[in-house]
Amino acid sequence: MKDIIRVKSLISADVETLLNQQIKKEAQSSSAYLSMASWCDRNGFDNSAEYFFKQAEEERQHQMKFFRYVLDMGGTALSPEITNVKIEYNSFREIFEEALDQEISVTQSIKNIAARCHKEQDYVTVEFLNWFFKEQREEEYKARRALELFDLIGEEGTGRWEIDKHVGKIHYGNEAGE
Amino acid sequence: MQNTTLEVSTHLAEVYSTVKGAVYQSDSEKCWYVDFAGKMAKFDYRNILKLKKAIYAIDIEEILLNSSKTADVEIVFICACEHCYVLTLLEIISFKELLEGTFVMLSLNQILHDRLYRIAA
Ligand SMILES: [Fe+2]
Ligand SMILES: [Fe+2]
Repeated sequence: MKDIIRVKSLISADVETLLNQQIKKEAQSSSAYLSMASWCDRNGFDNSAEYFFKQAEEERQHQMKFFRYVLDMGGTALSPEITNVKIEYNSFREIFEEALDQEISVTQSIKNIAARCHKEQDYVTVEFLNWFFKEQREEEYKARRALELFDLIGEEGTGRWEIDKHVGKIHYGNEAGE
Repeated sequence: MQNTTLEVSTHLAEVYSTVKGAVYQSDSEKCWYVDFAGKMAKFDYRNILKLKKAIYAIDIEEILLNSSKTADVEIVFICACEHCYVLTLLEIISFKELLEGTFVMLSLNQILHDRLYRIAA
């Protein structure tokens, strides 16, 4: 009896499901960042708004990367429905706290996919995921750095204005320690 | 009659069967024949996955606990596939059992292919 399933698809049904969940997670991240950009813009934090616009674009690219991978491997990529996108935030700081939480949750979720891939020896998908691990290193670093500005500069007086000025300058070198 | 049986047995390999039904694979057509609820239906790779998803998604417990007087039948319609099933609760349970067994056998077949032809060879 031929192995039709393997001929049709490189990834297993379980990995396909996890990748589709990740597609949705990246789309949710993109929407959340867009919402954060909107709030920052409305409240006069122009540099932060710009920073979140860029993050929103990046998340969309991540979503597309996963999407095309699922299709390329013979799977069915699902276009996700995104609901309950937050509009209001309690403070400038809360936005950056949520941004970091979101990045941590994305890293954990990709780790979970990799664990499943190792279990079924799907090293092809593991190799694909490696790009994202490197990306998450940068994403978490930037989100953490942004949040640190609140403690470093302080929010009193022109503090928030100063924080906003520095958000646009956060940069991560390609290699750790750079 | 004998000829048809003979033709079926050489053309199709049984993947899994229960007292209620059976699933056969056709290597030449790259598809599966599902013998269940009084009919033999042909499914290709995409459609058998859709069938699996549709059947697995039915909440059997919810139907059992549902005390409303509506009939306990579920209509399983698979998009872009010519087949449709109208199933009673008991049929859903047996169909799920048949499909679960089928997919276990198909993964086993994949392991066998890996071990016999892909890795060792
Ligand atoms: Fe991302
Ligand atoms: Fe991100």
